[in-house]
Amino acid sequence: MSILKTDNLTYKYSVGTPFEVTALKDINLEIEKGELVAVIGHTGSGKSTLIQHFNGLLKPTEGKIFVDGQDIWESKKTLKEARFKVGLCFQYPEYQLFEETVFADIAFGPKNMGLDEEDIESRVLSAASFTGVTEEMLEKSPFDLSGGEKRRVAIAGVMAMEPEILILDEPTSGLDPKGRDAILKMIRDYRDTTGSTVMIVSHSMEDVAKIATRVLVMNHAEIMSFDTVEETYRHADSLISVGLDVPQITKVFLELKRRGIPVKSNIYTVDQAVSEIDRLRKEGVSLC
Amino acid sequence: MLKDITIGQFFPGNSVIHRMDPRMKLILTIVYIVIIFLCKNFWSLGLVVLALIIVVALSKIPVKVILKSIKPIAIIITFTAVLNMFYVRTGDPLLDWKFIHITTGGVITAVFMIIRICALVVASSLLTYTTSPTLITDGIEQLFSKFKFMRNGVHTIAMMMTIALRFIPTLIEEFEKITNAQKARGADLETGNLVQRAKALIPVLVPLFITSFRRAYELAFAMECRCYHGAEGRTRMKLMKYTKLDAFGFAFIALATGGVVALNIFFQHVI
Repeated sequence: MSILKTDNLTYKYSVGTPFEVTALKDINLEIEKGELVAVIGHTGSGKSTLIQHFNGLLKPTEGKIFVDGQDIWESKKTLKEARFKVGLCFQYPEYQLFEETVFADIAFGPKNMGLDEEDIESRVLSAASFTGVTEEMLEKSPFDLSGGEKRRVAIAGVMAMEPEILILDEPTSGLDPKGRDAILKMIRDYRDTTGSTVMIVSHSMEDVAKIATRVLVMNHAEIMSFDTVEETYRHADSLISVGLDVPQITKVFLELKRRGIPVKSNIYTVDQAVSEIDRLRKEGVSLC
Repeated sequence: MLKDITIGQFFPGNSVIHRMDPRMKLILTIVYIVIIFLCKNFWSLGLVVLALIIVVALSKIPVKVILKSIKPIAIIITFTAVLNMFYVRTGDPLLDWKFIHITTGGVITAVFMIIRICALVVASSLLTYTTSPTLITDGIEQLFSKFKFMRNGVHTIAMMMTIALRFIPTLIEEFEKITNAQKARGADLETGNLVQRAKALIPVLVPLFITSFRRAYELAFAMECRCYHGAEGRTRMKLMKYTKLDAFGFAFIALATGGVVALNIFFQHVI
């Protein structure tokens, strides 16, 4: 059984006013346990609206959402369960820190779950170790940390709830390449160790392509495609046409193909590019 | 929930009232409020209300919106009316029961008061409905800068007002974002008694305050980078100009004022 399922999910903003906007149109998707799904789409494509439905922050105008086979809007109890089963980490999560110490801030989520002291402590410590938050940092005020450290603390705050599905909205935005890689590695480690399902929202695929099992492409409030990374890149030109960025190496190969050189178009890492060029050279095809 | 506030709301439009100079609108609103209080009988009050109805019609603001502006002060209106009804003892007695004495004079005064307060509120809301907050503060600044000695003070206050107004929507958005983030971490903001709810707001208010301070620093820095140094020597890109419309508006209110004074004298009957 799938861990997350939506059934004809539709969401409209400002229903009944002249400003009514359809943010999601008839979304049907199923995500299996343990997957790492990348959600991509340009600004305003509905990706952030979509993920806010998964833990019940937004109520669908039409349709249903099932977490672990349970309709989350069935009762107050199921809704509360969904909040804890689906951990949602918003964009720029560092601005939600408020406690006196980093420890207390990470413990906020587990505390709301009603766990006892011991449980809370062990969860905080394990979340801290995943995110590289040191013991020394745990005692500090979150406002004394650097931007990248704050980001990690905020993500740890969601991880400490040990959700079955962890959803991160643009976890790498505003970070330098080194910080970006660190966050992505951290998310991958978390998934490998806990076996939980992870969703990462992003507007560029470059970083998520390396770790995602499937890619959900959103365009104009609808699902454009939901497939493996390779399959998604096979249609790289259609990604570009809806305003999405593809890796530079993919662009190079698209251009080669346009110039009449018989290359594959689903190339998205440098390694793949190298082996593809090797193949062509063996076959005696000239690249220039 | 914070989006439902209507006080001071602006309804963009292109009616003659919208296009009037904000300075003129400010002055005329004040004059209008004064003449509401000059009215001594129903004749002059009727004229004042008629003038208001004409202006509302010209502004093309829906009547529903206008009525909405009265809603928040309904309690005050009722309170004043009831007090007047009980304490004014002129005219013929209508009801005499134990300590309650209601007279015709009391009822008439109460009605008079209700009309007066409604006219007052509608007139002042009409100003904010048809003038953007920035234009109002600009108008105030321009009016007061005629007096040299208070120019700097007025400029500072006007700038503060403009910035505050500019950041209200930003802060509301920020508030909603943080609320959602904390809800996602299991924060319960909707249940519990008053103390519990106030406590539950801490995780939202602390980040909101910190964000506001951060924004204030950034804004101050950006303003300094563009050489902002207060009112002295500062000129405007868009100069306000009085037009024919303003002359008409002025004449309209002047006529209304004259009419009120005349009616007050003509019908000597005083409420």
